[in-house]
Amino acid sequence: MKKIFYIIPLLVVAIALTMNSCSTSPLEKAIKQALVQQDTTQARFDSICAIIKAYPERYKTYLTDGGEVDVAALAELIESTGSNLRPPMHWDVTRYGLQQLSLTIYFERSGSMVPYDAPGGRGQLKKAVNDMINHFPATGNVAINIVNDGIYPYQGSIDQFLQDRNIYASTQGVGNAAFTDFQKIFNDILRVQTAGNVSVLVTDLIYSPADTRDVSVEKIFNEENSLATRIFRQYKGKSILVHQFMGDYQGKYYPYNNNPFNYTGQRPFYMLVIADSKVMDAMAADAAYAQLMSPAGVRNSYRFNQAEASVDYCVIPDWKDNAGRFRVDHHDATHLTKCEGDKTTGIICFSVAANLNGLQKPAAFLADASHYQLKSISGFTLKVQPIDHSMVTGNNRAYLEGKTHLLTLTGKLTEPRDEVTISLANEFPAWIEQSTAMSDTNPSQPGFATTTLGLKEFLGGIASAFGQGGNYTTIKLKLER
Amino acid sequence: MKQQHLIYLIAGIVVTVLFYIFRINAYESIYSVAGYSDQLYNLGLYDMIPLITIVVAWAMAAIYYFAINSVRFDRWYHWLVMLALTVMLAPIAGYMVNSSIFDENGLSYVAESLTFELVNMMWAALLFIVASFSMRWWSTNCRHTPIPQ
Repeated sequence: MKKIFYIIPLLVVAIALTMNSCSTSPLEKAIKQALVQQDTTQARFDSICAIIKAYPERYKTYLTDGGEVDVAALAELIESTGSNLRPPMHWDVTRYGLQQLSLTIYFERSGSMVPYDAPGGRGQLKKAVNDMINHFPATGNVAINIVNDGIYPYQGSIDQFLQDRNIYASTQGVGNAAFTDFQKIFNDILRVQTAGNVSVLVTDLIYSPADTRDVSVEKIFNEENSLATRIFRQYKGKSILVHQFMGDYQGKYYPYNNNPFNYTGQRPFYMLVIADSKVMDAMAADAAYAQLMSPAGVRNSYRFNQAEASVDYCVIPDWKDNAGRFRVDHHDATHLTKCEGDKTTGIICFSVAANLNGLQKPAAFLADASHYQLKSISGFTLKVQPIDHSMVTGNNRAYLEGKTHLLTLTGKLTEPRDEVTISLANEFPAWIEQSTAMSDTNPSQPGFATTTLGLKEFLGGIASAFGQGGNYTTIKLKLER
Repeated sequence: MKQQHLIYLIAGIVVTVLFYIFRINAYESIYSVAGYSDQLYNLGLYDMIPLITIVVAWAMAAIYYFAINSVRFDRWYHWLVMLALTVMLAPIAGYMVNSSIFDENGLSYVAESLTFELVNMMWAALLFIVASFSMRWWSTNCRHTPIPQ
């Protein structure tokens, strides 16, 4: 009988060994907790880094040679831990690895820019630049240059620039304001830009080379299109974010035929944010850079060279709009098995919660179902709805928290198997064409206040340099009866 | 100690360990519901509840065969009472852990939790039988319960 007491511990040891083999390290446990509790904040990230630093030997894979946390390696662990959860969860931590960035403003000072900051106007241009400087997280890392026929460092301090009520008067005589050498400006910006630098060109984006008298507008357009393509083709790793603003304009306007006239009214101006694609992605994911990515007062935006992103999405198993039946495969959250239509209507309806924040598109664009392309054998239809807080309850929190949109698919499953593909196409935006003027010689022509000469040609040149097209993202779901 | 009895014990341990390794499949093959099962998985309850069930089943068998271990309680229905206690105790403990962790995380799956514990009752009974046949041979007074040798 007593021998049993020597054998019983066998069970305990066996269970303990089993548990040990199944258990996770403190680091993985902390990551899993953060994901399950949806606590994907900087503070939580810091606490995870603290675990790594507390056990440098154990977690040396996640440390750099300098003893700092290797964010890329940690991001991989987080991704693999999150992908094992139900539904798979994601946490973009790349923004925490963002080193302190520097900002360089390139402020165009050509003849046609001066009237944007006329004393009688509301000064939208200067305000937009000031906002960008003031909201840049590392305010000490800001430099300003004046550009026209070349690039000239601004001689005053940042504070002087911010407080200057007539910046064009105080920078008078800097460079040659008669023309803007885009080739030199862009080449220089891109050539000198370091990995952690964000450059912002403030411009009217009117290509005004020296002496365009008697030159046809088509020739100017072709020239600027080729110029843009030639410059940007050399810098495939860069991204350019174009922001369009409207500003008051009071003064002389210089059209392409060199017959200036006075104009008072609104005119568009632009800010071109230029940075490495990785820096741009990280800024898009970090709220601290919101003013750069989506500035106050911006009218339209478009990012060139935006790679297709994988978004975090999951099918909500239990949702008020669901019709029919389906089961989310435990090993593949994009695979719906045992799909059955509603007994009376035959319709199956299910919703996908997706986080579309990382796509850097305006809310109105993302909420419009016409921007999505849907492919399926069964001919499903799509409805898009932004997620608001009132939709989140205790039980669906794991599916909705951190997601921005509900993509609801409705249809009749006509085949035993179907694959539904939802994609958001990265198309050359309509606003660029709508903001393009073919001639700017007559201020009374319709659309003069809202269009820019040759905008489409110049930005189209950038687009062809980066091989525009493709999708912002693609969501694929497999359905099986 | 007869070699045959030792084989029973080792087989019982192996079955229990296999149950623990394949616990998720074991539970979900019988009861799996959207949302609730995912939360059990994410919150580690598929680790805790099966472990509680194993500990309760083996502990109850050990109590019966070695602590109670009396001729007054060596009939099959005494063993059945212990089985009944096991199938009550393990799910109650499991439910308490389940609801407490769900409460902490703001989740509410009362009906699903109760159904899950019905499944757990079945596994508790099975594990109690496995534990009984693993250890009964060394009991001085109850080795013939529930089925004589």
